[in-house]
Amino acid sequence: MPTADAETTAVTTKKPLYEASTQFKHWRYSPESLADVRSKLNEAAVAVIRQTFEAYEPGSSANVLFLNAGEEHLLVTFYVTRITQLCGHFRFPEEVEATAATYLKRFYLKNTVMDWHPKNVMWDIQFQERLTALFLATKTTNNPISLEAYTHNIPNTNPSDVLDLEFLVAQSLGFEFSVWHAHRALWGIWLDIQALDGVPTDFAKTQTSLYDTALNYVRASRLTDAEFIYTPSQIALAAFSLAAPEIAQQWLKSKQAVSESNPSSPTQIPPGILGSLEFIKGLIVNAGQPPETEAVREVDRRLRLCKNPEKVVGSKAYLARKAEQEKKAEEKRNRKAMEVEKAAAEGVDPFGDELERPKISLVDYDDDDDDD
Amino acid sequence: MDAVERENADRQKRWAKEQKVGEGTYAVVYRGREVATGRRIAIKKIKVGQFKDGLDMSAIREVKYLRELKHQNVIELLDVFSSKTNLNLVLEFLDSDLEMIIKDRSLVFLPADIKSWMAMTFRGLEFCHRNHILHRDLKPNNLLIASDGQLKLADFGLARDFADPGHKMTCQVITRWYRPPELLLNSRYYGSNVDIWSVGCIFAELMLRTPYLAGDSDINQLDTIFRALGTPTEQEWPGHTKLPNWHQPSTTYPKTPLRDLFTAASADTLSLLGKCLVYEPRKRISALEALNHPYFFAIPYPTHPSKLPRCAAQLASRAAEEAEGGDIDKMSTGPGVKAAEPNNRKRKLTSPEEFRVRSIARKLDFTKQANSP
Repeated sequence: MPTADAETTAVTTKKPLYEASTQFKHWRYSPESLADVRSKLNEAAVAVIRQTFEAYEPGSSANVLFLNAGEEHLLVTFYVTRITQLCGHFRFPEEVEATAATYLKRFYLKNTVMDWHPKNVMWDIQFQERLTALFLATKTTNNPISLEAYTHNIPNTNPSDVLDLEFLVAQSLGFEFSVWHAHRALWGIWLDIQALDGVPTDFAKTQTSLYDTALNYVRASRLTDAEFIYTPSQIALAAFSLAAPEIAQQWLKSKQAVSESNPSSPTQIPPGILGSLEFIKGLIVNAGQPPETEAVREVDRRLRLCKNPEKVVGSKAYLARKAEQEKKAEEKRNRKAMEVEKAAAEGVDPFGDELERPKISLVDYDDDDDDD
Repeated sequence: MDAVERENADRQKRWAKEQKVGEGTYAVVYRGREVATGRRIAIKKIKVGQFKDGLDMSAIREVKYLRELKHQNVIELLDVFSSKTNLNLVLEFLDSDLEMIIKDRSLVFLPADIKSWMAMTFRGLEFCHRNHILHRDLKPNNLLIASDGQLKLADFGLARDFADPGHKMTCQVITRWYRPPELLLNSRYYGSNVDIWSVGCIFAELMLRTPYLAGDSDINQLDTIFRALGTPTEQEWPGHTKLPNWHQPSTTYPKTPLRDLFTAASADTLSLLGKCLVYEPRKRISALEALNHPYFFAIPYPTHPSKLPRCAAQLASRAAEEAEGGDIDKMSTGPGVKAAEPNNRKRKLTSPEEFRVRSIARKLDFTKQANSP
């Protein structure tokens, strides 16, 4: 029988919960691998779109100036700032905004801006994928709002604009909806600090501006790649350190003391934390702001000329693709009808077959399943 | 086709649907196989097209939490893919659930068996709570049983993260008979202890073989609880009369010791049961504390999962599975022996001592098998 002590040790030596998360397992990159993912995605997208251009109008791609990975990234960063605006409009909680921002950033690690872009030509109008990412985030964070109320509050939007992309967004996220956020970690640090030795009891009341400043740095970090490279708690500590370096240092020391007295404690500070902190601080300060409007405008202008013609409603390529899909669906319907006829001709009893007969089902439960 | 859609299509091809095994209001469940390995799986196909708000909350909750939770006592979500207007969850295949086993009158439960199911339930629940997830719908038919006897928490359609202090949650959760008194009184602030009450009810049901607190309406449920456990006093549950739905009951029931109803239970058993069914939610035992309760360290030790009683339907399904798999050796004795097959299998899984103790159950089981069509 295990003793109480053995039991406690068993609990404390378990790996941190964060390391079991899909965020830790599937959405962590080095700065280099992140750049690599983006440039490969961009190259592949350009190749495909160029081909599409050529297929419908030979020679038409020669003069198209496609976006590069950096330009795509600039637009995505811009979209994230627009999420903030939308959330302000709805007064959604921080959790919804942070989650939607993460969804959008993850979405564009799997999809190119040149594929999924404005349903409308005006550059300032709402973008579909952003609407969908935000709507999905309201649901996954347990703050659901009816689609009607949602689209009602956004000019020029239909429910279908949001729902049409819901599966694509969910697929792009790998159906991994759970996100660990830096603002939660920041709250934890803030609570911890109030319990530190020598901190006055009215600290939380008198120093709220410290917390608010730190929270703003966390918000700024959402415009950077920090969440793909560092853990939420590292980002939170960096943000707090920007707001109040000495207190952050004191907090870190208190954690160090805990981990030294109990080496197996999960709060053990990994070596190199200080270097990481400096790197994140640099990211937040240098990259944590909305892109220049002029730069965005310029990239967006070019985007309108180079986006995938198959996705532009009404274009030649779009119509051709639709026709192709329609043809396939028609063929499938015919095939199904033939099967049913054949089954009927063989005299299949609609109430079921004899046991040994090969199974031919009159009702196809998978009717809507076999995509081809 | 775009890269993401192609990946989705590739995922879909990894799983083969075979037979429809159930249909609910929003989902159809199929039995199937992993194409590459032949491993049995279940596919829960959720019709999304019918919802005007797109992917519905219970599907989202189930996917969100099962994607993160990997534990021996939590059902495993193997994959997710979409097909046109449907969301498909690929889950590990589980033969039966605890409700089927409780209802199978041919089975006799030993105290060690109940201890084993309780240990597995608490382990799965402790893992959920450690990950800050409330299940909010624990009941015997959401505790599924794998072919190796392992119990797994399933159906995370009502699950959610722990709320921040002061953040309201809905009290319309947990199936009535397993719903704790604070939710019946419409408390909107609660925690992991709501799940513990449910586990207490399941614990009692395993001993009684019938639902312990079976109210016939939400109003009657509270009365049923008070009748069984005594009307709470302000002392044992401070502040409960201030909860939104509180009405001064016309009758005040006295406390009757659990021992009066659970006559054969050991002192440890009743101690743990009592700690799960404490009125004051904050004084209810936690899943982690429960796992360290003396009950789990006292004799009899929990039955090994592979030796737990299993119901006829499960055994029949396993036998069919083996027949299908072309296990010629087992079939060679001819069709006449077929009906007894499940029982033969069971004996192999059971130690000789247990076989003696279980002989009654086996006999009844045998009759049932022989008579079944």
